[in-house]
Amino acid sequence: MLKTIVFLMTLLTAFPVYALDGTALLKQVDRNLNPESYDMYRKLINVEPDGKKKEFTLFSAKKGVDKVAALFLAPASEKGRSTLRLGDNMWLFIPNVGKPIRITSLQSVVGGVFNNADILNLDYAAEYDVVRVDDSGKEYLLFLKAKNKNVAYDQIKMWVDKGKKLPIKVECLTEANMLIKTLYFKDHKDFGGGIVRPAVIETDSPLYKGYKSVMIFAKIKKRSFKDEVFTLTYMPNLESLR
Amino acid sequence: MKRNVILFLILLLFFPAAALAEESYTFDTSETEKKPYHFGGYVELRPVLNVLDKDAALYQLQYYRDPRSTLMEWNGRFQLEGSYEKGIGSVFVKTNTDLRYSSFANGNERTAIFDGYGTLKPSPSWKVEVGKKTLKWGKGYAWNPVNFIDRPKDPYDPDLPIEGYIMATMDYIRSFDGPLKTFSFTPVIVPVYDHINDDFGVNNRINAAGKVYLLLYDMDLDFIFAADGSRTARMGMDFSRNITTSFEIHGELAYIKGYQQPFLDNAGVLQSRTQNVVSGLMGIRHLTTFDLTTILEYYHNGMGYSADDMKNYYNYIRQGYNGYQSTGNTQMLNVAQNLATGGYGRLSPMEDYLQLRLSQKEPFDILYFTPAVTFMFNLDDQSYNITPELLYTGITNLELRLRAGFIRGSRDTEFGEKANDYRFEFRAGYYF
Repeated sequence: MLKTIVFLMTLLTAFPVYALDGTALLKQVDRNLNPESYDMYRKLINVEPDGKKKEFTLFSAKKGVDKVAALFLAPASEKGRSTLRLGDNMWLFIPNVGKPIRITSLQSVVGGVFNNADILNLDYAAEYDVVRVDDSGKEYLLFLKAKNKNVAYDQIKMWVDKGKKLPIKVECLTEANMLIKTLYFKDHKDFGGGIVRPAVIETDSPLYKGYKSVMIFAKIKKRSFKDEVFTLTYMPNLESLR
Repeated sequence: MKRNVILFLILLLFFPAAALAEESYTFDTSETEKKPYHFGGYVELRPVLNVLDKDAALYQLQYYRDPRSTLMEWNGRFQLEGSYEKGIGSVFVKTNTDLRYSSFANGNERTAIFDGYGTLKPSPSWKVEVGKKTLKWGKGYAWNPVNFIDRPKDPYDPDLPIEGYIMATMDYIRSFDGPLKTFSFTPVIVPVYDHINDDFGVNNRINAAGKVYLLLYDMDLDFIFAADGSRTARMGMDFSRNITTSFEIHGELAYIKGYQQPFLDNAGVLQSRTQNVVSGLMGIRHLTTFDLTTILEYYHNGMGYSADDMKNYYNYIRQGYNGYQSTGNTQMLNVAQNLATGGYGRLSPMEDYLQLRLSQKEPFDILYFTPAVTFMFNLDDQSYNITPELLYTGITNLELRLRAGFIRGSRDTEFGEKANDYRFEFRAGYYF
């Protein structure tokens, strides 16, 4: 009898969290971060332990759940390079090489802590299932599991601001629970068109002790594209979208 | 208060990163403003030290008048590019100047327009380009047997830019939902006349070629053809696919009809044979969790020479060299030099090769530092070339590369008969 009462009380206290639809919450977080189809500019800064920096400027376009393209605008050594993601497929186009080559999500076209999956990120809900949601007062803690083996991180822990429904911190983990990197979402900004979101993502990693990478967002705006823009043949022409 | 300041200064002194952690980052969006024009360029200095093999046939062919044990080369490269875009039209030009100085060849300079074309893009599905450009067909890293139109790339430095041909091309792209995600068709016209692509093949021909690209079941597939014209007819296909997130496979297959190959028979008489040949490539690219990239490729060159063909060629050079030493007659060596430009001197002149490249990204947490080693094996004669290299790209727009080459093989083998035993190269390139 006592066991039954304890069980019912446990169920009762746990109910508000289980009542929360984790998938709906994650989709809401995705939409608050970006419109489903948009273009934007980003600056990536790799910071070394001695403070030395290397910066990259990118133009990005995304359509739907699985199409993303990015074009490097600076520095001069990277200008004209473009990357394309169609679902699990990723390619890199280097003007000198002259043809797209397949790359993987765990590689990094810029070096530093951000990898290709971070640069060509899809919606979290497109790649991860919510397995648990913890309610810790001001925040939700979402435990995400990759939908398949092709996803860059097997598990993700996401701390979400309850009011704003935006991520505060994301930990990326391997299947064996090893921490690969932590993303910190900072500096909420109004980008116009109803888009209010963090303008800076910082990341560090126990695999790169003392190093840090920063992604700064600008000019995020809703935009529709034709599907043909997200093809290998179009990769050398992404500049014409700007 | 004073204590806090002292504490902060100590922190700043010993943990500069901790102080930087609170730095606020800015993004001046004016740098994202699009201009209709663009100018840029690249300048490179590349000194090379060659340690020569005096017994090698290609040494005897190259240095018979001026014997030496080492050769220092000073190479420079200067590239300028510019573009202008207005509405649906744009133009792009890229020039390349190569400078070379050595005590053997003295100084020489060559300037060429590598690319120079106009583009019309009425919609994302259609594009027309006319001018000088490259196509870069194929999926292989070191070789591309299906690249029927472009000049061949250097398998020892495959990312180097190459000079294009004058042509007209068109792209038609369609995207779909379902297993076939992308379809594109690229027809190409390459005219060959006096002063227009006159090194492409037989003169006074208009050459037609084309490529159909499919992204089908997450696999890149190309079907390629080049009709009979300045060169004989050829067709082929290539593919590339990720098996896992870190494992890619690719391949190419080419069929060349009526390929005419000059060769020396074992009596040293120049002959020619015409045959239909098949070339192919199979390769993998793998990335480990600790960022080691492995590229392994097998290449069968249907247009290549057999070990016996090459042996006849090397014997011919030796006879010429001995004849020059005893009589001063250079006739045979001149013939051998002409044959080198006709096929024996290609970068991969024989039939079967294996290339293994291992590159480790940022070892020991050294950002932008990539050591690599490339093994090139000639499977026909078991000779090989090992190329270790160190690449550093940590300074914005500057690329520094140190490379060595260890060229090994017994007599009458491709790498055994190369003019040099060792090669040391430093390359400093700056983009602007």
